[in-house]
Amino acid sequence: MSQLTEEQTAPPKRVHRQRSATQWAVAWRRFKRNKSGVAGLAIVIAFVVFAIFGPLFAPYPPRSTESLLQGQAGQPPSWKHPFGTEINGIDVFSDSIWGARNDLWIGVAATAIATLIGLAVGALAGYSRGVIGGILLGIIQFFFVIPTLLLILLFSRVFQVLVYQGFGVNLIVLILGLFGWPGISFVIRGEIFRVRELEFIQAEKALGAGNLRILFRHIVPNVLTPVIVLASLLVAGNILTEVVLFFLGFGPANVATWGELIEEGVQYVSVYPWVALFPGLLVVTLVLGFNLLGDGLADALNPRLRE
Amino acid sequence: MGSLINYIIRRVLFMIPVFIGVTLFTFLIGNAAGNPINLIRLAFKGTLPQNVYLQLVAYYHIGENPLIRYLYYLWDLIHFDLGLSITSQRPVASEIGPWVWTTLYLQLSALALALLIGIPIAIYSARHQHSKSDTTITGIAIFGYSTPTFWLGIIFIYIFSFYLRVLPSSGAVSAITPWWGNWTLDRIAHLILPMTVLTYVQLATIIRLLRGNLLEVLKQDYILAAMASGLKERAVIYGHALRNAITPIITIIGLSLGASLAGAPGLETAFSWPGLGYEFTQAALALDIPTVLGITVIISVMVLVANLATDLVYGFLDPRVRVS
Repeated sequence: MSQLTEEQTAPPKRVHRQRSATQWAVAWRRFKRNKSGVAGLAIVIAFVVFAIFGPLFAPYPPRSTESLLQGQAGQPPSWKHPFGTEINGIDVFSDSIWGARNDLWIGVAATAIATLIGLAVGALAGYSRGVIGGILLGIIQFFFVIPTLLLILLFSRVFQVLVYQGFGVNLIVLILGLFGWPGISFVIRGEIFRVRELEFIQAEKALGAGNLRILFRHIVPNVLTPVIVLASLLVAGNILTEVVLFFLGFGPANVATWGELIEEGVQYVSVYPWVALFPGLLVVTLVLGFNLLGDGLADALNPRLRE
Repeated sequence: MGSLINYIIRRVLFMIPVFIGVTLFTFLIGNAAGNPINLIRLAFKGTLPQNVYLQLVAYYHIGENPLIRYLYYLWDLIHFDLGLSITSQRPVASEIGPWVWTTLYLQLSALALALLIGIPIAIYSARHQHSKSDTTITGIAIFGYSTPTFWLGIIFIYIFSFYLRVLPSSGAVSAITPWWGNWTLDRIAHLILPMTVLTYVQLATIIRLLRGNLLEVLKQDYILAAMASGLKERAVIYGHALRNAITPIITIIGLSLGASLAGAPGLETAFSWPGLGYEFTQAALALDIPTVLGITVIISVMVLVANLATDLVYGFLDPRVRVS
């Protein structure tokens, strides 16, 4: 209550700041009304909590074949092994928990790298006219032409054979990050093209605003919304790529990920179907969460749909 | 008409630097270890036969400087000479042909089916926005692009091949006895499961995009004007709204066609479907560099051509594109 009166009596300067805050408040209000978007957010938050604290309660260390020694390999789901065990005695439930941590890390960290590169390249391509802009656009479009997924597989394989095997999941983070940025930079470039021709930017220029002020005050907020949406969808895409990469046998050895579990499960799917089933369901749920979140954000942040 | 020809020439000219970029890129990967032979040797762990080694030295012009080697590579490429596969000892170029065909008929049949089913469903969904069926449709669609294709394939294999035993689990054709007593039916039997999975995934993308586009188009003033002028809703949707909503979809299909040429390596591997994706995976695991590079280059060139075709269709459909 006291806060309210404080705001009411605040000098006009604060009103200005408050207005810029309500843009996000409006978006949040719109987002909250979107049930599927909220469900996506809830799934993502649940998995983040699960990935951070889950391993504290994981029954076994990652990749532990302890159950093999107890004669518990290839067991169907039970109270002791909720998701069953695979042929080497790895507890699928326990490794799924470790996998949640690794998969989320791969998805988010690779997206962070891709977003940073995408922002830098996209901004540069959007701002520079002439030769540099043309070359950057060429590079972006080049990435749309090459079969990215196949090259990701090849890079992972060649790097592990040729350079170093010990990077673990971070190798995958790096490769996915280095291949993931073109889509983002393409959109950013387009947005900057669009925004910089708008009248209020011209007005700012006429008022004598510097390039940096225009960049951070006007261009960045405008570009931020598609970036947030794209990043959320990219996390989903990165997790799917991770799963395929491990399934095809291109992942680093001895890492607990959902893709690795599915790979092991597929080899014996006719005998131990649960090994591929449960991690797969986790993948679908988490990816669904990020996709729903991304779609929800897209709706909430889209000014064209705003009433 | 002049603007259209101009547009075509510009698009074709744009392909040249991209083609050089793609070939340079694959060339660099092949030479990541100095030259392709070093990489191939790693796969053989020092047991590369002497005669094969000498052949490779001659083929890759080892000893020349890298620029000359790249030009030789381009020269061979233009003559459709992609070298010998290390694992099969056969020319890569003659091996790739059947793989391209196997991938294409899986991908294209799925795409055609997805378009056939997807467009009416998307229209229905957009016309009945927020209805129960719309929610169900978008729900099913979002599951489609959240599911790893190959994993869905595995589930299907488990249900239909291992449990019900009604459909084959792997390959594009039987080895000895055909399914359903006939070789044509045998191919169809092998196609059903992977095609169904792929159709579902592509259906999801088409519904999602087309529905979104239609919703935006249907809010436009010219739709209101068309409705107000007394046209039937069906005529407005098919005659005005769909045409505007579907052009962006064509771009997406063109782009995804490129991605789908790479095959879904996961899906193809799950079904042991002998297409480009599956064979690339096998070659990359075996470090069969000539095959790997051959597939990459062929796919890239096909994507370039597909993109060009998409651009042309797009320019034909949407006059605004030609001018800008």
